[in-house]
Amino acid sequence: MLTYIIRRLLLMVPTMLGITAVVFFVMAFSPGGVAGNIISAEGDMDSGQAAVLRAYYDARYGLDQPKVVQYGRWLNQISPIGWGSALNDQGLPETTGFGFKWPDLGESFSKGRPVLDLYAEALPVTLLLNGITVPIVWVVAIFSGVYAARFRGKWFDVTSGTALLALWSIPVIWAGVLLIGFLANEQWLRWFPTGGLSSTGATEMAFLPGFSLAGVWERGWLLDRLWHLVLPVICLVYGSFAVLSKLMRASVLETISAEYVRTARAKGLPGGRVLWGHAFRNALLPLITVAAGIIPSLLGGSLIVEKIFSIDGMGKLTLDAIFARDRDLVLAGALISGIITLVCILIADLCYALADPRVSYD
Amino acid sequence: MTDPPPIPEQAITEGAGEAGALVGAEERLALREAQPRRPRSYLARVTVRTMGRWGAAMGGLWLGFIALLAIFAPLIASSFPLVMKSADGTVSSPWIAFLKPMDVALPLLAAMALLLLFGFRGWATARKWLVFLVVGGSVVGASYLVVSPPALATYDTYRGGLKSGEIEWAVHTPIRFSPSDRLRDQPKAEPVAPSGTHWLGTTRNNADLASRMIHACRIALAVGFIATGIAVVIGVAVGGLMGYFSRTVDLLGMRLVEIFEAIPQLYLLLTFVAFFPRNQYTLYFIMVIIGLVSWTGYARFTRAEFLKLREQDFVVATKALGLPLRSTLFKHMLPNGVAPVLVTASFGIASAILAEAFLSFIGLGLADEPSWGQLLSQAVGGGGTFVWWIAIFPGLAIFLTVFAYNLIGESLRDAIDPHTQKASQA
Repeated sequence: MLTYIIRRLLLMVPTMLGITAVVFFVMAFSPGGVAGNIISAEGDMDSGQAAVLRAYYDARYGLDQPKVVQYGRWLNQISPIGWGSALNDQGLPETTGFGFKWPDLGESFSKGRPVLDLYAEALPVTLLLNGITVPIVWVVAIFSGVYAARFRGKWFDVTSGTALLALWSIPVIWAGVLLIGFLANEQWLRWFPTGGLSSTGATEMAFLPGFSLAGVWERGWLLDRLWHLVLPVICLVYGSFAVLSKLMRASVLETISAEYVRTARAKGLPGGRVLWGHAFRNALLPLITVAAGIIPSLLGGSLIVEKIFSIDGMGKLTLDAIFARDRDLVLAGALISGIITLVCILIADLCYALADPRVSYD
Repeated sequence: MTDPPPIPEQAITEGAGEAGALVGAEERLALREAQPRRPRSYLARVTVRTMGRWGAAMGGLWLGFIALLAIFAPLIASSFPLVMKSADGTVSSPWIAFLKPMDVALPLLAAMALLLLFGFRGWATARKWLVFLVVGGSVVGASYLVVSPPALATYDTYRGGLKSGEIEWAVHTPIRFSPSDRLRDQPKAEPVAPSGTHWLGTTRNNADLASRMIHACRIALAVGFIATGIAVVIGVAVGGLMGYFSRTVDLLGMRLVEIFEAIPQLYLLLTFVAFFPRNQYTLYFIMVIIGLVSWTGYARFTRAEFLKLREQDFVVATKALGLPLRSTLFKHMLPNGVAPVLVTASFGIASAILAEAFLSFIGLGLADEPSWGQLLSQAVGGGGTFVWWIAIFPGLAIFLTVFAYNLIGESLRDAIDPHTQKASQA
């Protein structure tokens, strides 16, 4: 098992190289490259200013060197072994000696802050969104899947199948626009906030709801946060039921026709116990593989939701970075979401082996 | 359960696993298949079986409707009178003069596709495809050479002419507004709600919503088919080679697949589209990029099928007979391994449409050409104003189209999956 894990971890290295290379060269070969924004702004500058900016970009990203060397420079920057670099007194990086060093994701060009800090702030927001979404998706999908299998061919099976497929087909952008338009707008109902994660002044609120000293009802930080999360979570949740529920249904159907379930029924156990005690537990097995596999697709989904509801999570940070042509931020985004995806796939494979003694990777 | 209906002998020999599913429409199908006729191809059988399910039938109806709208868009919505008589007595048709090359090419292509699909029964499928590609390509090329509408269109000339009496009479299309007609002669501060003149209201820049939506059908259909077509070609080629050669090719190929799977598709798509300049080719660019980032699923499925097939007798036989590799791969293995690809393609078209809608929604799509996603983005405007008809109708169009493809994909999966048929037998 340990060798398997080590082999898989080592295989991640070329994959991550490939991912970052694809993203890097897309940026490098686009017209203007990462410095594309100054081309359009150049008309407003005098030639001296533009030359200074160009020189700054060249020194910062090594744009005067071949593209492969530029990529090599970035790899050196993020690797724990390599040439170190320090900022000189003009604020430009300068190479120091070879050896062990801290991996450095660089500094965001558009926000003027270390990339690591930006992602460290954004990641918990996205995790919060998904942390609320995943359990809801699982509970609903598992129950609807089990009942669809239990009443196969009956009205519950047919209607839940079609309804979940319909929910799956609703574009998130449409759901988001409708929810904001009808439930968070002064022209219609003003039940929910239009965006963000907290009201202004939420930091001064008490944590739990209660009455203030003046005897006025205050909703408190926690309730305020939940209130802001309702619409985004609805947008994230509704589309994910269909696939899981379908899988659960197929899996339960398979176990229900197994010999041991027939035995359980034959020895006179009540239907509920046969279903939940015998069939259900074994039917959960194939779902473990998708348990972790669903997270990457949720990350993609939360990109759209964060954009619509202007929530400052990973997705919105990435979008802003792409629009600002902020090279280090974009590459770090690809790196982080790539690692999350690969680790999730690995965890899924390991869980599968842990849950099913018949599966072995050695 | 009632007794199973008597099954014609030929249907049983067709496929033992299917026998239990023969009820209703499928029973009729079996009877039809029992007629002494040229046997249907596998694809034809799957199509008939899929469309026999009500979900797929409804989806097919909606897509047919969208396709009709796309083909005949200028006949339904145009600012130019079909026929008009000026005050000086000349009868003319500005509608014909302002037709764009695609407006002419699309109906011709559709007619040709129908003719090839239902006529020329003796022709092989490959020959039909070849004819379609060659003749279709030259039709499109010729229409771009021959048809050249005036570069500048002033839409209000005809409305003004009718009002002032310069035009005696004019015959109009059902919707009297072109998609890019901004109604400059009747400027409005606010979008107009649905009414008799504007069936679905107007957009924020005063264009007719119904007209824009009808012309946007073209983009929605084209994005789905072309993007998925590219993905299928790449995926089947890579997956087929991996499955057939296995070993080193397989190992390298799977790494490639893993790389593309680990990059969130939307991320790569956004990077591509945001970093390259936008012009009139952006749409084609978007289609190619969607195709380039979404081929991994097809590669996985084809690989799995080919790994199964390569050990089978008929494949070994092609090798023993000394057939060229091309023939083994494309003529013998591919038709037998293509079924799961079709299912994925159907879902893939749906997600390509969603991707294009999202790109247009965040402003990375086309600037002036109508697209459902771009229309939807106008629903919530600056200052939080919300226009319900711009939100409801384009969104509904995206939803129904995506739902239609998903329904077809679902039915297709049930139709080709031996497990579902075994399950309905049990």
